Amino acid sequence: MKHIVRCAATVLAVGLFSTIASAEGLKDGMKEGKAAFKSMGPLAFGPEGILFIADTKSAAVIAVDTADTKAAGAEKALKVDGINQKIAALLGTATDQILIDDVVVNPISRNVYLAVSRGRGPTAIPVLVRVKSDGQPEVVSLDKVKFSRGELPDAPVEGVVGEGNRQSNPRQESITDIAFFQDRVLIAGLANEEFASTLRAIPFPFKTVANGTSVEIYHGAHGKFETRSPVRTFVPFNIGNEPHLLAAYTCTPLVQFPISDLKPGAKIKGKTIAELGNRNRPIDMIVYQKGGKDYLLLANSSRGVMKFGTDSIEQAESITTRVADKKGLGYETVEGWKDVNHLDRFDEKNALVLRKGEAGALNLESLPLP
Amino acid sequence: MAAGFFAGVLLLCALSLPAAAPALSWINDRTDTNRWFVEVSGLGASALKELRQSNWTPAQWQRLLTVHAEQGDLIGDIGMPPMSGGYAVEANRVRFTPSFPLEPGLQYRASFYPDKLPGDGERGRFVTAAFKMPARSTVATTVVKEVYPTAEVLPENLLKFYVHFSAPMARGHIYDHIHLRDDTGKDVELPFLEIDEELWDPGMTRLTLFIDPGRIKRGVTPLEEIGPALEEGRRYSLMIASEWKDAAGAPLRRAFQRRFKVGPPDREAIDPAKWKVQPPKARTREALTIVFPEPIDHALAQRVIRVMDGADQTLAGQIMLADEERRWTFVPAQSWAEGRHAVSVQKTIEDLAGNNIGKAFEVDLFEGVQRRFTNATVKLPFEVR
Repeated sequence: MKHIVRCAATVLAVGLFSTIASAEGLKDGMKEGKAAFKSMGPLAFGPEGILFIADTKSAAVIAVDTADTKAAGAEKALKVDGINQKIAALLGTATDQILIDDVVVNPISRNVYLAVSRGRGPTAIPVLVRVKSDGQPEVVSLDKVKFSRGELPDAPVEGVVGEGNRQSNPRQESITDIAFFQDRVLIAGLANEEFASTLRAIPFPFKTVANGTSVEIYHGAHGKFETRSPVRTFVPFNIGNEPHLLAAYTCTPLVQFPISDLKPGAKIKGKTIAELGNRNRPIDMIVYQKGGKDYLLLANSSRGVMKFGTDSIEQAESITTRVADKKGLGYETVEGWKDVNHLDRFDEKNALVLRKGEAGALNLESLPLP
Repeated sequence: MAAGFFAGVLLLCALSLPAAAPALSWINDRTDTNRWFVEVSGLGASALKELRQSNWTPAQWQRLLTVHAEQGDLIGDIGMPPMSGGYAVEANRVRFTPSFPLEPGLQYRASFYPDKLPGDGERGRFVTAAFKMPARSTVATTVVKEVYPTAEVLPENLLKFYVHFSAPMARGHIYDHIHLRDDTGKDVELPFLEIDEELWDPGMTRLTLFIDPGRIKRGVTPLEEIGPALEEGRRYSLMIASEWKDAAGAPLRRAFQRRFKVGPPDREAIDPAKWKVQPPKARTREALTIVFPEPIDHALAQRVIRVMDGADQTLAGQIMLADEERRWTFVPAQSWAEGRHAVSVQKTIEDLAGNNIGKAFEVDLFEGVQRRFTNATVKLPFEVR
């Protein structure tokens, strides 16, 4: 039996970015003080040890100077069993009160940063946790750091809406992924009321006002009728010498479009290069080189970790007709990488995964890139 | 110095010596009764002096005084890191203040190692003190208050549910507790868009549950293999299990079930010209009523419809929805003035299938895209007499 996947196309809004990075340093606009968070969502590292932290509840991305810029020593594997239990002990709570919302590796120091929620209700405390090469978690204090805030364009205004008839605004836009690319932060989001999936680019260093106007991107696939679907995860990626974004959607088309197309008022048509099948949710993507070739790894909920050769991405034909389950780009499933919750690049030769272990444990481990 | 000494739960196991007899206490912070800290008293003057002058790292302090949150597993607790917190020497005592409030129901253990004290002199013996936070009440009080849409018949291409709870809920693995059951008693496989972030409102009393767009039947060709989540002519139940815990850790008071029937799909854009605006009388606080020909999205109907006076100013008032979200009423805070008014509606408003004003949910992408991500509004003028 076959089934048809038709959740592909989307309409994306991309805030405009400044075209040229100025001569100023990336940390020039940062202030020193307490970086306050209401929540910690996806994380992404930029250059110079700058960590971008999405705060969905504040509709903002905060850039924090971690000052963690000492280059890592010799290659050393990392394996921490039960990292969720260790973090619970560190934060003085029970393991079931710990949620790990994202995991990234500082590419300079190879220290691992985790966005943790201490508690599961509305009063949960967001905590940034770091794991160094000794495998011990520690709280990263944000009480006295250099940081700057980028407010999301068109973010909902907190407070009273609807002519004073309601005390709070229940609308919230969840940030599903962020990435740093050249001079901008790319942010994918999904609202909890109107069905709008957005992809924004905001210039970095963050400006105090003007986040720019929006352009719209969408990709054609599957014939005439299209629906919108949220971007789950994405990764900047060079095709030839041109920077592209490769985006995976919640019901798994893999779509690419050139970043240079993100111009004011532009209508961008992305190219659907693969359908990865239903009953499946993409989780994280990384790109890497091995043996002089580029590869893409995509972790997802039901098909394990998929590996794509990117030379085939360059040549991939756009899928423009309705397809039966999986189609397009060929991939191989990486054996033994089961139950991966988060994936990032650890170093040149290794990936870092957070995956399920025994009896509710979550294990953090570096694994050789396949 | 705080004095709310919690003797009832304190287990003190000090073996005292006459010269220096360190003692450990868990002390309740008077200014914030949710906060507790640990104090070591009975230290010798020279040790205290050295500690005051020391510039110890947290790791050095932890060798002297550690506090662990016990997970109730003796073997599992071995090798667990000590709790994060701050150390200080205050009024002849060493104080540890946890970075975070203590967790109800959890046992904490403070241990003091006098052999790690700086300087010479009598050190006393190892002491340890456990403290257990009283557990939270796990009496189930929270319920599912309402699920929107409330209509008995929902379109085959229904886009979402809103689940409203009577109290804040807990995040994490929520989709395990939500099932869509068909009329043969079988659960529909993966009907919802499962998003790790979970689409809550900030107070976590409302959850947005999107039907997976890949499972919404559209066009004329049926989905094969997995099939659509909802099919016209059939009956379904949205089931919410009572095991789902609220923010206080208690399960729901009862399971929830909402039965509904599935009708034909709705592929039409919303046309406000078909809305019936029933103006109120001047100098009263009568409700302004709009009757929609179909149910409208519960959240958006309250957020994106506004009432403007003759000077184009937004009026304050109360919005209510009734009649399966087909009837919208607005009671102004002040009496209506005579004259021209208008209802202003953002085009992003949705019906139950996600159709907007002037734009159906399914469109050719190169048509109508301009309408997205604008705050464009439609105005429906009315006269108050």
